[in-house]
Amino acid sequence: MSELQRILYVEDEPDIQAIAALALETVGGYAVKTCASGEEAVRDAEAFAPDLILLDVMMPGMDGPTTLEALRGIPALAEVPVAFMTAKVQPSEIAHYKSLGARDVIAKPFDPMTLSDEVRRIWQGVA
Amino acid sequence: MTSAGAEQALKDRLAQLRARYLQQLPDDLAALSALQGRLAGKEQDRAVLDELQQRLHKLAGSGGSFGCAELSAAARVLEQRIGSWLGAKALALDAASRQWLADEIAGLYCTVPAQSMEPSEQSDAGVLPEAPRTADSVQKVWLVEDDAELAGQLGPQLQSFNYEVRVFDGIDALKRAVEGEQPDLLLIDVMLDEGRENATARLVDCPELKALGCPLIFLSDKDDFPSRVRAVQLGAQGYFLKPLDVPRLVSRISQIFDERHAPAQRVLIVDDDADLAEHMRLVLTAAGMEARVLDAPRNIMDTIAAFRPELVLMDLYMPEYAGTDLAGVIRQHEACTHLPIVYLSAETDIERQIEAMGRGADDFLTKPISDVQLVAAARSRIARARQLEERISKDSLTGLLKHASIKEAASREVLRARRIGQPVTLAMLDIDHFKRVNDFYGHAVGDVVIMSTATLLRQRLRQSDIIGRYGGEEFVAVLPECDAENARRVLEDIRRNFAALNFNHRDERFGCTISIGMVCSADYPEEDGTNLLVAADEALYRAKRGGRDQIQQAFPAPAS
Repeated sequence: MSELQRILYVEDEPDIQAIAALALETVGGYAVKTCASGEEAVRDAEAFAPDLILLDVMMPGMDGPTTLEALRGIPALAEVPVAFMTAKVQPSEIAHYKSLGARDVIAKPFDPMTLSDEVRRIWQGVA
Repeated sequence: MTSAGAEQALKDRLAQLRARYLQQLPDDLAALSALQGRLAGKEQDRAVLDELQQRLHKLAGSGGSFGCAELSAAARVLEQRIGSWLGAKALALDAASRQWLADEIAGLYCTVPAQSMEPSEQSDAGVLPEAPRTADSVQKVWLVEDDAELAGQLGPQLQSFNYEVRVFDGIDALKRAVEGEQPDLLLIDVMLDEGRENATARLVDCPELKALGCPLIFLSDKDDFPSRVRAVQLGAQGYFLKPLDVPRLVSRISQIFDERHAPAQRVLIVDDDADLAEHMRLVLTAAGMEARVLDAPRNIMDTIAAFRPELVLMDLYMPEYAGTDLAGVIRQHEACTHLPIVYLSAETDIERQIEAMGRGADDFLTKPISDVQLVAAARSRIARARQLEERISKDSLTGLLKHASIKEAASREVLRARRIGQPVTLAMLDIDHFKRVNDFYGHAVGDVVIMSTATLLRQRLRQSDIIGRYGGEEFVAVLPECDAENARRVLEDIRRNFAALNFNHRDERFGCTISIGMVCSADYPEEDGTNLLVAADEALYRAKRGGRDQIQQAFPAPAS
């Protein structure tokens, strides 16, 4: 499996979006594309060709699970691993998200200094 | 860039993001309080609780990333509790639960660290601002109105009151616009698309618009009950029927903005335990209040006069004087008879508490008191005192200070100006030929003119200026730390804008003018507020005699 380089990050909250993008780009050294909504992600994801997709669960309009389903419908993205990011991390919920096809769940609030490590860990678990 | 340089750049950027997050937090937390205040203990609470839960969920998920781990944890607890309430079949929150929620939300302020995460490098970046900083900036009012004629009339009128206006012809246009920018207030016509679309019904299904959190006012040409109820459920702060009474609408808008920019609540702490006093000061400050600790008991009246606290937290047992003694001294001063005093003590003996209450205090808080409780207790008491004060001191038509209160404010500000060595300017304004307006158009129209004058003054003067309705059509403005030259510029602007206002009465349009007399304390170093008001009144008289619609300034008679 190739190196993790390109991350598509979908999050509606501008604050969180900014700090996560900073964490992933500057600390992790990844190329990050951010989308403010599921709709935007579905529109732009294929062109960006991400290695990994991070999806906020609770968003207005298309929420995380709905976005995942829509992304899975795009052939070029069908195999791209997806991780959810959410403030709800009961074990039962993690299991539920995984059953939807997510590889893992990242708990919010995340620490900007260690977010990249966590993402890398998920990626290596995939590889 | 060296790796050390890169690391520093990262740290700086993180600190910046944190500062921005912290700066916006007070508004977010205030929005929670406002939502909580709408809970009524009925099934209809569901929508409000949903909204609260979503907002708390966001805080829970974001706080920790910005150095507010405690905020995240506290918001999580609240989110879950609300979730369990929402899970119940029938929703009927009792008063105790609502009070609990109110206290917990108030307590969220305390979880925010008062200092930035990088105190050595960003000394003030993370400090919670005391109040929103937008007080003197231009407010954005967005109007959703498909009737081009009405929009064309209303837009310029709002602009003349210094609002920045954007007009949209429907909800969809509005939805697109809020992605890039946010208004400070939304005015929405209930009936859009020539009656085919009901805005209240549309908004109920628009989470992105509901999440805006800005005040909402509906305009409607029909007084239909379902729309009114939906407006209430959407948290609307006004519902105006057409034909629009524009001055009332503008007055309501400016009232809403004033409330949002109310000054920080002021608390005086009297406690001989310096550590505890300082702790309380920090807790109250972190919650957005202005708190001060009394340094020595004998300075209490001077401190009260200078700081003008709205609440005194008083330790009951102190080595030199008892709290009851100091409360008694405060109550000897007539101006302080309404100042709420709350005792703080480890006293648990109910009879001694009652005895202490009998001596000039309003309530008793037993130590140890939690930070959350302290903030909630102070906040609610001051809010109540402010409401009461409002009813007593404000003119009901204009919301400005009444005669006695504005006179008092003038005297106080002249004294303060002398103390700090800064000029204060007083202005007396009188609507020209107002009697003719009343005689020609009736008193209702006269009232509209009075209200418009009040609104214009509020709009054009600074938040720190004090405005009162001195008599029927006479107003007084007190401009602290403002010299004659600056005052003249501001007053000239008011005079010009007032003359440009159009009033309508049965399709007849008319305008009014205003005459102004002003006086600056720098020209009268020996005179007090009362005498300066007399001088301003004389200048006003000269303005009237000189042809009205003008400003005259008072100068002392040359020494003979």
